[in-house]
Amino acid sequence: MIYAYFLVAIAVVVVAQRLPDLRAKRGLFLLLGVALLCAPLFDRNDSTFNVLADAGIFVLLALGLNIVVGFAGLLDLGYAAFFAIGAYTYAMMASPQFNLHLPFWLLLFLAAAFAAVFGIILGAPTLRLRGDYLAIVTLGFGEIVPQIFQNLTKYTGGPNGIGALDFPSLFGRSFGQNTIPYYYVVLALIALALFFAYNLRDSRLGRAWMAIREDELAARHMGINTTAVKLAAFALGASFSGLAGVVFAAKLSLVSPDLFQFQVSVLIVSMLVLGGMGNIPGVIVGALVLVLVNNVVLPQANTIAAGAGLHVDFGNYHFFIYGAILVGIMLFRPEGLLPSRQRKEELHHAAA
Amino acid sequence: MRISAALAIVLLSACSGANNASTSKNTTTTTTTAVTAAPSPAPPGQVVKIGIDLPLSGGDASVGISTEQGALLAIDQAQKNMPRGYTLQGEGLDDSVQGVHNPEQGVSNVRSFISDAAVLAVVGPYNSNVARAEIPVTNAAGLAQIGPSVVADNLTIGPEAAQLRRTNPSWNTFFRVCTTDSRQGAALAQFARSLGFKRAYIIDDNETYGLDLADRFEKDFTNDGGTVLARDHLAKNTQDFKSLLLKVLAAKPDVVFFGGVTSTGGGLLRKQMFSVGLGKTAYMGGDGLADLATVAAAQADGSYYTLAAPNAMKLSAAQAFVKAYRAKYNADIGPYSANAYAAAQVAASAVVRAIRSGHGTVPSRTAVVANVASTKLETPIGPISFDKYGDVTNPVLSLYGFKNGQSYFIRQIQLKL
Amino acid sequence: MHEFLAQLFNGIALGGIYALIALGYTMVYGIIGLINFAHGDVYTLGSFFALTILTALGVSGELHGVALVVDVAIALIGAALLCGIVGVLIERLAYRRLRNAPRLAPLITAIGISFILENVMQIWKGPAPVPFPAVVPNPSVMIAGVAVGAQQFLLVGLAVVMMVALQLFIHNTRLGRAMRATAEDRDAAQLMGININKTIMLTFLIGSALAGVAGFVSGVYYQSTWFFNGFGAGLKAFTAAVLGGIGNIAGAMLGGFLIGIIESFATWKFGGQWSNVTVFAILILVLVFRPSGLLGEAVYERA
Repeated sequence: MIYAYFLVAIAVVVVAQRLPDLRAKRGLFLLLGVALLCAPLFDRNDSTFNVLADAGIFVLLALGLNIVVGFAGLLDLGYAAFFAIGAYTYAMMASPQFNLHLPFWLLLFLAAAFAAVFGIILGAPTLRLRGDYLAIVTLGFGEIVPQIFQNLTKYTGGPNGIGALDFPSLFGRSFGQNTIPYYYVVLALIALALFFAYNLRDSRLGRAWMAIREDELAARHMGINTTAVKLAAFALGASFSGLAGVVFAAKLSLVSPDLFQFQVSVLIVSMLVLGGMGNIPGVIVGALVLVLVNNVVLPQANTIAAGAGLHVDFGNYHFFIYGAILVGIMLFRPEGLLPSRQRKEELHHAAA
Repeated sequence: MRISAALAIVLLSACSGANNASTSKNTTTTTTTAVTAAPSPAPPGQVVKIGIDLPLSGGDASVGISTEQGALLAIDQAQKNMPRGYTLQGEGLDDSVQGVHNPEQGVSNVRSFISDAAVLAVVGPYNSNVARAEIPVTNAAGLAQIGPSVVADNLTIGPEAAQLRRTNPSWNTFFRVCTTDSRQGAALAQFARSLGFKRAYIIDDNETYGLDLADRFEKDFTNDGGTVLARDHLAKNTQDFKSLLLKVLAAKPDVVFFGGVTSTGGGLLRKQMFSVGLGKTAYMGGDGLADLATVAAAQADGSYYTLAAPNAMKLSAAQAFVKAYRAKYNADIGPYSANAYAAAQVAASAVVRAIRSGHGTVPSRTAVVANVASTKLETPIGPISFDKYGDVTNPVLSLYGFKNGQSYFIRQIQLKL
Repeated sequence: MHEFLAQLFNGIALGGIYALIALGYTMVYGIIGLINFAHGDVYTLGSFFALTILTALGVSGELHGVALVVDVAIALIGAALLCGIVGVLIERLAYRRLRNAPRLAPLITAIGISFILENVMQIWKGPAPVPFPAVVPNPSVMIAGVAVGAQQFLLVGLAVVMMVALQLFIHNTRLGRAMRATAEDRDAAQLMGININKTIMLTFLIGSALAGVAGFVSGVYYQSTWFFNGFGAGLKAFTAAVLGGIGNIAGAMLGGFLIGIIESFATWKFGGQWSNVTVFAILILVLVFRPSGLLGEAVYERA
């Protein structure tokens, strides 16, 4: 059943991308949105919406990283650090840890702001570096942040992390252990993120990002303040991650450093590359495909195989299957599953 | 080898349950009706499942896979005790994502068990923080969960544990067959003092199990009159511990205490003690070092570890288990294989008793929880029954040492609670 | 002072391993601009190959005399050769098609290859750490009151010899010149009649072979190997390459030794849990204040 949701969502996004008519495109997205909103009325399977909410958090992360990597062309290999900062913000300010119990909704904004500030702190000295070096600096940052959270046991609970976080509540009603409210929060945040992402892309700032991505030198000569524009991308991208972190922490009711390892950053980058960097529908598809593989197909590989009459123990081959998917898709479709028209053209020019 | 053995298991279990070829969708619906409309006898070919949630890929595979195999072996063997018409299946889900155990994925797995009405109990998880995320979910759903290896005290006792049960505070669904940090720490401190160690250098792997155990040992060893020279943590993703051991060498301890498991550095640490000149110094740790010899071989000599069970060399269940495991997987047991075996035994026996007391109807999850709580069972890790927190009631801990790369029993104590 | 020296010698030995791995990173990065994530796993693969060869030779403990020289040579050269072949295959199968793709595409492929290699090794030797025979005897000499083992000398000596040989090769042979030219400007090199494919293959062959050497050396030195080792060692070796100035052979060597020493000292002074944080913090500081690394040449933006 869970597959149906993923496949339908992916199919709708893919079809919408191919529609030439803008209104039809919007209509289709709207339809998908309404269908997702109504789904819990018809489907009582909690587990499904739990996975969908998790997937939604990754869509949020992918949309955020897309601003940095896709729009502005800055390779960030430590994006999970901002995710961690968002999650720990919630964990420290809405739990018995310091006996602070700030409301979820306030912390959403606070964490987004915190993450953005950290984005600026990291970005300011490093953004003048050339692209590859920036990637490495962010990688280092991504390695350091979770380890600091792990080592400062007194404040962060160390490797155990912080548990029993406050349940968010709305109009005095606690979310508790239900997954549906989180699912709706995630949907709302995705809608918000999409709104921002599209508007940013088409704004002056968005055009400046793309100019930098294509030719930084030319962009500078056109009078674009490249450092300021890059910082904006870093800060905005980080703030999406901060938001995602708060929802993630609240939903799990736990944070611990092992949730924000380097692998998570790599996973989000993979989503972008797989789906088609810079293209919003592509990024969503990339996120959905990898969540489907990682969180649904691989853990259940044995059961699925048995259902198909195949009795093979896939447990030992998770990494192999996952690696093969990454390699296969990249080899045969390096521009991603759903590249933007613009990006395709850039590639053609590069090849020509 | 591993592959062919695993294949054989799947094939065997497929043959023994003649009817389980029917689609899982069908069985799920029948089970649901059976649960809601209680007293209808199970139709022939009723499948009931025990879910297993463990980290199985990437770096965590080193302990996860042998743990899962222990549980699967028990489920396989429990088949013969199942009431007529029932087939017991184990369904394993991997809770590591991209090679790291992941509480989020653990919750996702547990929720998918919850939504499958055929699942009546869960064995797992391996890691404490995965447990911390899962317990509130199984508590809310009333699904029995039996941890093979998670030892953090605050999962069952104290205000933090109460927080984990906040949805149904009166109800305990989480049980564990392993010991707790405080019990093992206390036993280890006593053993260390009785072996004549006065000066200890404490190192842990900076993971939940190791850190907590080392904390407890540090406290109890000091209380018992020992001196803790220093406390250190291992770095992640490295195999060089010589630098750390040079510090240890300078401190001249009687014993190096390690909180952690062999594969997170416990094995290499022991080996490298020899290359910096600490080969004659004793080395000690918890049950995570039970498989020390697989890495350190003869260099394990002079090391000690505890197991939360009576003398395994005398437990016939333990001998039989090791033999059966070897026969089935063509491999030696891992550090938590026996625990997982015992956990799955507990789950399976509770399911069987719940079916029996319902006169053959498919039992509710609540009934299974009640039957787990009233467990009295002989297992390879000793007799198991639970207190009201879900911890084992009979805290016998044994001390083992290594000689010629083989572990041998030294003595056991019964802790006063 | 005594402890300082002990930590220094330990750090140099550790750094020797990083240096050997870093050479492969820096060469591949210099020539095709790819962070070859799978390189760390090729290093682990080297220790697996060496272990398999030693087992096949019937070696399970310390060797002496002729047997020591012969068996070690066979295992070392065998591991290097096999790793070299694996490296070439990876380039041919996974990276070559993507040479003109978006820059990130081969990076993802490299991550995929890394996962595949790790899984293959996990199935090959099991998920737990595997003991490696202590083939090389380790008598120690006292230097300023600190015991230094023979293995440490061999390890560092081997790393330095490899680097010097590589440096000579790159600067004094036709193939070496071709490599430098390709790194400088691939298109121009092609126009000058250099066979780009062959040159890149050679780069992977040498880089991976050096990782194989590192794998063997670390197996002997730590008497253990594990399918997941490459992840952490690779990340640090890459840091070493950057610290020294990526694309620069001598820089990779210097970076490797420095990272080893820093790690050792950080463990000593701050505790093991801070050693990685220290290494990566230094990485960030170096890049911010001296982005070309210690020995790197002026950095220019590659189109």
